Amino acid sequence: MPLDVSPKFRPYEVLPSLNVPGIPAVAPLPTGETQDTRRIQERFGDDVLAAGLHVGAQVVYIRPTRLVDLARFLRTDPRLRYETLVDVTGVDRLELPVPEGEARFHGVYQFRSYSRRQHLTVVAPAEGGDRPRLPSLTSVYPGANWPERECHDLMGILFEGHPDLRRILMPEHWPNHPLQKQIPRGGEEVPFTLTWEDPEFETLGKQILPAESVPPKVPPGMDSRRHLIINMGPHHPSTHGVLRLVVELDGEDIVRVDPDLGYLHSGFEKTAESVRYKDFVYYTDRMDYLSGMTNNFGYVLAVERLLGLEVPQRAQVIRVIMAELQRLAAHLFWLSTHVLDVSGTGMSLLMYATRDRERILDLFEMACGARLTVGYFRIGGVSHDLPPAFRDNLELFLQVMPQKIDDYERMLTLGPVWEERLQGIGVITREEALDMGLTGPMLRGSGVDWDLRRDMPYSGYENYDFQVPVETAGDCYARYRVRMEEMRQSLRILRQALDNLPDGPYLADDRKVTPPPRAELDLSMEALIHHFKLMTEGFHVPPGFTYQAIESNKGELGFFVYSDGSARPYRLHIRGPSFNNLYAIDHMSRGHMIADVITNIGSIDIVLGEVDR
Amino acid sequence: MGLEERLPEGVITTTLEKLVNWGRAHSTWPLLFGLACCAIEMIATGTARHDIARYGSELFRASPRQADLMIVSGRVSNKMAPVIKRLYDQMQAPKWVIAMGICASAGGPFNNYAIIQGVDKIIPVDVYVPGCPPRPESLLYALDKLREKQARARLKAQAPSSPPAEEILPLGA
Repeated sequence: MPLDVSPKFRPYEVLPSLNVPGIPAVAPLPTGETQDTRRIQERFGDDVLAAGLHVGAQVVYIRPTRLVDLARFLRTDPRLRYETLVDVTGVDRLELPVPEGEARFHGVYQFRSYSRRQHLTVVAPAEGGDRPRLPSLTSVYPGANWPERECHDLMGILFEGHPDLRRILMPEHWPNHPLQKQIPRGGEEVPFTLTWEDPEFETLGKQILPAESVPPKVPPGMDSRRHLIINMGPHHPSTHGVLRLVVELDGEDIVRVDPDLGYLHSGFEKTAESVRYKDFVYYTDRMDYLSGMTNNFGYVLAVERLLGLEVPQRAQVIRVIMAELQRLAAHLFWLSTHVLDVSGTGMSLLMYATRDRERILDLFEMACGARLTVGYFRIGGVSHDLPPAFRDNLELFLQVMPQKIDDYERMLTLGPVWEERLQGIGVITREEALDMGLTGPMLRGSGVDWDLRRDMPYSGYENYDFQVPVETAGDCYARYRVRMEEMRQSLRILRQALDNLPDGPYLADDRKVTPPPRAELDLSMEALIHHFKLMTEGFHVPPGFTYQAIESNKGELGFFVYSDGSARPYRLHIRGPSFNNLYAIDHMSRGHMIADVITNIGSIDIVLGEVDR
Repeated sequence: MGLEERLPEGVITTTLEKLVNWGRAHSTWPLLFGLACCAIEMIATGTARHDIARYGSELFRASPRQADLMIVSGRVSNKMAPVIKRLYDQMQAPKWVIAMGICASAGGPFNNYAIIQGVDKIIPVDVYVPGCPPRPESLLYALDKLREKQARARLKAQAPSSPPAEEILPLGA
């Protein structure tokens, strides 16, 4: 039975006076050429519709019939060597002034070469008009499986040749593909004038509607006659949130694990299309709620890149400080919950590690007033300058923290349980990690030496001296070691950032994007006008698209932003590291015991808010 | 005062109703169940700094059969709603619900196709906590409020003969 709990479910209308759409425009075609685009053009000739640079990134438009060939060429050609497919998404161009006869849907693929430090965006117009079809890339990059399923679920693109094209986030019975442009955002009208006579008050707390459970289905390919099939979650203490795993068991050995996602799907991408650029910063906090600062970071960088906005030096260093503090906080939380799940007696470590995390949250609170959902970053800088006491408190933190990390490591490695439960569990080889499109500690634990902070630096990361820890074993223990070492390296970066914190403005001085300081509003009419325009209409972003990735504590966090020249994103896609890393759970768990699933979940370090978005 | 003066030292008198309510209010066991951002603050409430154990609620139970308080800590999606409803139904009476944060209370910033605009559409809520997410102190205050309500509960109202809808006491009563 489909669940309809909101009787007033109807299209949500945006107030027209606040949102000036501007003149919608299609993103311009790429210009110029690079070594890679030239090579692709030589090989594919007329099937390359356009190639070159767009917003500083390599972009190739390819005819969909040759997409698989191009992918194979990118992966195997010795001069290209694009080892991994980072992201798959789509753009519905229904509301753009697309010329007659052009495809409505575009598939957008992000390829990455770790060995050559290159990034390539491939755009393929989908055939089939309103019922779009694209060839599946799972035969070349197995990691395309989940991103393609997500794109199918939310965007309605049919990936031909996909081995398992089911819905992944929305419930099975959902009637539409919510990211298509003709589908309204949904939601409820907010009653702004409510009196005690209103019928809603009479029923407050008693509006109890039936919510019937949908009988769970056995995923295709599982054999319930020969094997035992058990259901872990969505309410389970060790799934780190609302994740449902369907586990096929032969005795106590795992045959297959099939995750069922979407229990926390919150429609971030659809919501982004109806809020102004500056307002979406606060939504990103709530995505990976353990690392609000990092999410802010990726989003503002993407928009700044489209705007071509220069960020002041001081703001860049403040951002690095916040991102590294956030990495520490998130790793501490990962460590404490992982230990709690695995060793059973780890409650003390949870208490210790969250105590140190509270110190970091205090620093955040000092800077922006919030602990968890910070909203500290602004497009063009940060919201406030650091308060005077921040430096001393961070100094204190940097003094005590190294000792604490050593303590935690000793607490774990001196006992036999920790190593016993982690070593040899969930092994991923280097090739498998690249195949599956894993990122972050999952990738570095399998011997791939890659860190976006070092290899594709942003916000001045090239100025810091730090090491990227790499382990080759590929098991849960290797990933644990990588994360522990990352915490120490974060402390190193923090030390350098604090010592070299420059003076100057903390927000860009571009009146078209950032609001003027409060004092200026009393003196200048010009400033008032700018302030009014920014607060009502928002700023307009030139048409185009970009993919900006940063190294979050869990892996590569990417934001794909497509602008049509208006004050709101035309399309925003978030490449969550947890989502792509969770794909490995099946591979990691096969052949192990049921208890090792818990170890693997902890080792992947998922946050469901980001998996489901 | 009559009887109490004649009793030996250390003995007090009270009504059974007060005794039961006292017990319930000071050992309310929440369900170990987190949804989104608020769940992290809920965990923070449980750890050493804020220490929910001072209020007798540190024992988060993984089984709904052993829990009497459901803290809905985060946004409720359409896919999750039947699960929450079932968990609530599995809990044994008397049971209470705290809607933690604006998402659980009214949908919060997620006014869209995916999120239910308030968990009170599917289960009755006793205490609403504002905030996005509420600080641990707010959750502790919500527990305070809940205790006030628990102290007012009438044993008679929970007897099997009375209709179940009457169990829901309005906060201001």
